[in-house]
Amino acid sequence: MTQPECRRIRPVGDNVGVLTLEDVVVERGSARVLDGVCAQFLPGRCTAVAGPSGAGKSTLLRLLDRLEEPTSGRVLLQGRPLPSYDVLEVRRRVGLVQQVPVLLGETVLADLRVGRPGLTEDEARSFLTRAGLGDQPLDRRTESLSGGEAQRLCLARALAVGPEVLLLDEPTSALDAVAAKSVERVVQSLVADGLTAVLVSHDLRQARRLADDVVVLRGGRVEEAGAAAESAYLAGAS
Amino acid sequence: MSPTVPSWYGVGASVLLVAMAVFVVVREHLGLGREVLVAAVRAAVQLVAIGGLLLLLFRHTGLIGALAWVTVMVLLAGRVAGGRARGLPGATRVATIAIAGGVFATVGVLLVAHVIDTSGRVVIPVAGMVVTGAMQGASLTLQRMRDEATTARRQVEARLALGLAAPDAFGPHLRTALRTALIPAIDGTKVVGLISLPGATVGLLLAGVNPLTAIRYQVVVMYMLLGAAAVAAVLAGRLALRTMFDDAHRLRT
Repeated sequence: MTQPECRRIRPVGDNVGVLTLEDVVVERGSARVLDGVCAQFLPGRCTAVAGPSGAGKSTLLRLLDRLEEPTSGRVLLQGRPLPSYDVLEVRRRVGLVQQVPVLLGETVLADLRVGRPGLTEDEARSFLTRAGLGDQPLDRRTESLSGGEAQRLCLARALAVGPEVLLLDEPTSALDAVAAKSVERVVQSLVADGLTAVLVSHDLRQARRLADDVVVLRGGRVEEAGAAAESAYLAGAS
Repeated sequence: MSPTVPSWYGVGASVLLVAMAVFVVVREHLGLGREVLVAAVRAAVQLVAIGGLLLLLFRHTGLIGALAWVTVMVLLAGRVAGGRARGLPGATRVATIAIAGGVFATVGVLLVAHVIDTSGRVVIPVAGMVVTGAMQGASLTLQRMRDEATTARRQVEARLALGLAAPDAFGPHLRTALRTALIPAIDGTKVVGLISLPGATVGLLLAGVNPLTAIRYQVVVMYMLLGAAAVAAVLAGRLALRTMFDDAHRLRT
């Protein structure tokens, strides 16, 4: 049986992707959600995963955090297959921010400590600052946060665990325009500071603003992969 | 024999009450006449059969027979509790083991501490009550866990994504489930005697036993129901945590 050749996002030389998908297939019943996907997510860059609804974008993201398992093919973290790591370590190294902000603690500090119980108040403040929430009191009740603040707290909570990669699953689609901008600014500054990010977005303009690279999925296959600035798909957003 | 226990003639006369129920539902066109009759006949047949079986067990089999009967009760209760939590992986197996654990611990303590004696006449009815309490504890825990796995899926996955292990990611929801499951047993214990006079006391009072003696049994019954429900609920919760998540700490449901 011949393996379809993996298309690279770009010639990478010795540059190993922080996360790599090798010929990944995901089947649900008789449907192929992902059909032979190859992709690399390069360090220090923001890669957008774009494409129409039902193209398999969110499934791809969940594979990277081992919240789902491929039917065949491999997912590599720093060149090693995910199952060769302790799964809890994978999830600490690969952070995930979901579409709808989900708060887990009663106060800002309690929420930040869910993933890292020993977090000091000073550390908590520095993560809040990175997430653009530097002015928030640590004892503020999370139920009183606005949508944008809640999503930025989710970002800070993910950062507190110390991930190498941040997965962002439509992080602004549940927010209004102002709140979305505030989250975007945080993502931009994190990537500028060297964090690797994978952004699933159906907002092509946002993908163009935030991403260095893009992987376009359609019907579970990679339709296009390369620099975001040269993407024909993203150029469709005027 | 005590005159307070009805004779077979008395049982026959109580059929009049069934006739009364049928008369009412037919007169009111409730369409339930047939069902009332079927229920009444079923109750009589089931109880006569059980009475006969218990007589056999009490007279001929001793503790072994009693334990065999308790095993049958546990298996039936496991099926009922598992059925209530359909959708939860391995619900029937988990419920059965949890109920068995609750019954074993509770009846074990009662036997070892010589609170009850080992005759079938005592073990079977006591274990019957314990099985009911354990079933309620396990059933409510599993139902609530199944519901939490659906309604709180986002929270659970958010904790998993932060690198928490499955028991920690589900921990707050397990505690909610256990609290919910134990409230009926705790409330029942609080109000016993004030609002409800439980079956064991009623039975002893009807049989002519002095009230202060009758309540001694009831105190033991309430404590064992509490113990059985608590042990079964916690066991069900712990076991279900293992079946709800796979090796990679992912929700199966």
